[in-house]
Amino acid sequence: MKIRSFVTVMALVGNLCAAQAATPECSRSYTLALHDHGLLYSAATDSGIDKDVSDELVRRSGCKVTVSLMPRSRIWQLIESGALDFSLSGITNAERDKFASFAWYFSNKYYLLVRKDSGVRNLADFERNDQLKLGTIRSFRYSETANQLVDRLQTGNRVSQGGGLAPLYQTLMLNAIQGMIIEPFDFPALEEARIRDITSIVEFNDPSVPHGLIMSKKALTPAEQEHWRALVNAMRADGSLQRIFGKYFKPDLAAALVNF
Amino acid sequence: MTSARSVQTAIGLRLLPWLVLVATLSVTWIVWDHERQSARYALHAQFDFALKETVSRIEQRAAAYEQMLRGVQGVLATTDLNNQASIHRYVDALQLDANFAGVKVIGIVQRVPMQDKAAHTAAMRKAGLPTYAIYPESTGPLYAPIVQREPSFGNTGAPLGLDVWQDPVRRVALEAARDSGMAAISGKLRLAIDRQADALPGFVMYLPVFASDLPHDSVAQRRANLIGWVYAAFHVNDFMASLYGKQSPGLSMAIYDGVDTNESTLLYRTADGVGGPASRRTVALSASEYMVVAGHSWTLSLASLPEFGARTGQDATNVTAVAGAALSFALAVLVWLMVNGRTRALRLAAAMTEELREMAQHDPLTGLPNRALFSDRLNQELARAKRESTRFAVIFLDLDEFKPVNDNFGHAIGDQLLQQVALRLQSAIRAVDTVGRIGGDEFVILVAGLSGKDFVLTLTEKINQSLRQVFVVDGHEMHISASLGFAVYPEDGGDELTLTRCADDAMYRVKSRGQAGINRANSAPS
Repeated sequence: MKIRSFVTVMALVGNLCAAQAATPECSRSYTLALHDHGLLYSAATDSGIDKDVSDELVRRSGCKVTVSLMPRSRIWQLIESGALDFSLSGITNAERDKFASFAWYFSNKYYLLVRKDSGVRNLADFERNDQLKLGTIRSFRYSETANQLVDRLQTGNRVSQGGGLAPLYQTLMLNAIQGMIIEPFDFPALEEARIRDITSIVEFNDPSVPHGLIMSKKALTPAEQEHWRALVNAMRADGSLQRIFGKYFKPDLAAALVNF
Repeated sequence: MTSARSVQTAIGLRLLPWLVLVATLSVTWIVWDHERQSARYALHAQFDFALKETVSRIEQRAAAYEQMLRGVQGVLATTDLNNQASIHRYVDALQLDANFAGVKVIGIVQRVPMQDKAAHTAAMRKAGLPTYAIYPESTGPLYAPIVQREPSFGNTGAPLGLDVWQDPVRRVALEAARDSGMAAISGKLRLAIDRQADALPGFVMYLPVFASDLPHDSVAQRRANLIGWVYAAFHVNDFMASLYGKQSPGLSMAIYDGVDTNESTLLYRTADGVGGPASRRTVALSASEYMVVAGHSWTLSLASLPEFGARTGQDATNVTAVAGAALSFALAVLVWLMVNGRTRALRLAAAMTEELREMAQHDPLTGLPNRALFSDRLNQELARAKRESTRFAVIFLDLDEFKPVNDNFGHAIGDQLLQQVALRLQSAIRAVDTVGRIGGDEFVILVAGLSGKDFVLTLTEKINQSLRQVFVVDGHEMHISASLGFAVYPEDGGDELTLTRCADDAMYRVKSRGQAGINRANSAPS
């Protein structure tokens, strides 16, 4: 779904030198897909961190980029095939490394959100109880321990998948699933009393996982990938990213996310 | 020690087939279990793939319809919302054939603020709809009447002017499309064009139309500058029928509006769908996926029926189990035959050896000890007598008038008579004594450990009397007698040769008289 097309002609004067070094050649128009996920992007309001990052990237690059909204699983499929050039807030694994390149710009931890009435106090509690089901978003991967938990539960047919966060929250409320894996972008939903009152959070003891701009290796040459990576690095270096995150998080959390 | 080892070996050999059976059955079980696990993983993977594929097909179809609707939205970016002719021509040009069979209606909804209601109604009436009115009645402050439906023919449903803003289900989608600037679909509803009582479940997809010369980059701008919506209305059944690709066989499916799955939210169910009449059938795997279609949640419930599992190597698992078990038993039987073949050969050899020994030491006709065994027993008794200073006797016995029996009745009858004589002799002596046959009608008796002075004489008379009793062989009555001679150790001889020769001589002396009787060695015939 096409949201909007952006055409930027000039790089910012203030960052002229850095931008000149990093600016891609814009030899063609590019495609970038967002996915609806908490603070990263909300289709309901057409806003979010990814939207802001995308706007800034497009502005700095001066390229024509067609931005659209897709399910995450479709995004990975198209990145792999080369039909899509970019997406945002992606994490890597061995399989994705084969077809995608990344430009990291923030890092965060994962948490298990569980219903209080499930009696789960730690990860082992959840795994031990065969009656508990986990909700995940199709094609999503997480930190190492979380991935292992998901894979084991999947073998036991204890994972229900969703196309986005919204139906998973609703399913959690209905007690059709008893847990789901969340990130800091999903915290605002927890401020809703109906969710906060019935859930608790269990932390995965994994280090933070870097997230970044996803670039299709089939669609972009290594040189082009380097140009776009340099753009992202420039956004980190000049504080633009921290400012974007600061719009959505308290300053200390925003800093913790982008300074990794 | 050797014996204990051989017993252990024998037990080991006897257990070997069972051990082989247990081992091979265990291997079969391991292989079968592995195959079963693999088949289960394959089944899960295939099922998950089918689920993913089904979701993808629905999402892609929804995206195709959305793309089609964007075309209409595009037309409105270049013309007025009320340019009905232009929209009619565009929809006509779309050639909505069977590929778009799911679309029942494409239409336009106009955003009408309360203050514009009268002007809007007047304009619509002026445009050729003299009875046009916004309905149902409401106090506003906003109206969203349907102002155009395409195709215009064949639509017998609610007339134009229906204010969809008043319907809470439609309104949620209208607001979502307005605020996001993107497509939004409604929850389950009855389409306005449906007149029949039992209308099929439907839904509507809306795309917002903004004033082309005003910005719509934020929610506030979008709310302010919205002029209407384009929409496509669907029957879910038709929508599902128009999906690309083919559903994997052996799967049943149901789609629910939202994440709550009950009959009131049911949008679609295959003929053998989950939770339907066919749900009594065995369901091997089932899963629900919470899809997001144009910003709206649908729950897709998929279940595998037995025929789905049959396609993923279940047969191979059964073949492994049956073939493995059969081979295990066959191998165990083979080992049993090999082990027991040796045992049976040894047993046969032992039996044959025993038989040979029996044949070498016994008379085949009467079963009595032959000359060799008798000689052996005599020597044993001689040694014992010498050692313990005891006495024993050797009796020679020759049947009288036996030859005529053979001549008159034949050798078969003669042989039977000899067998009866042997039995009578055995019953006449004690258990410690030995009676043997050393020739045609010649018998010898070893009388061990003599106690009384006339014991031998008494015994010989007893034997003589026994043999004089009538014999009945094959219906013939026969009378025979015997000549007996005996020698006693140590009086008549101190070795085997002397004793036997003396007894033999004594017997011949009786025989030479031509009548039955008993004689002792070195004595006058009695």
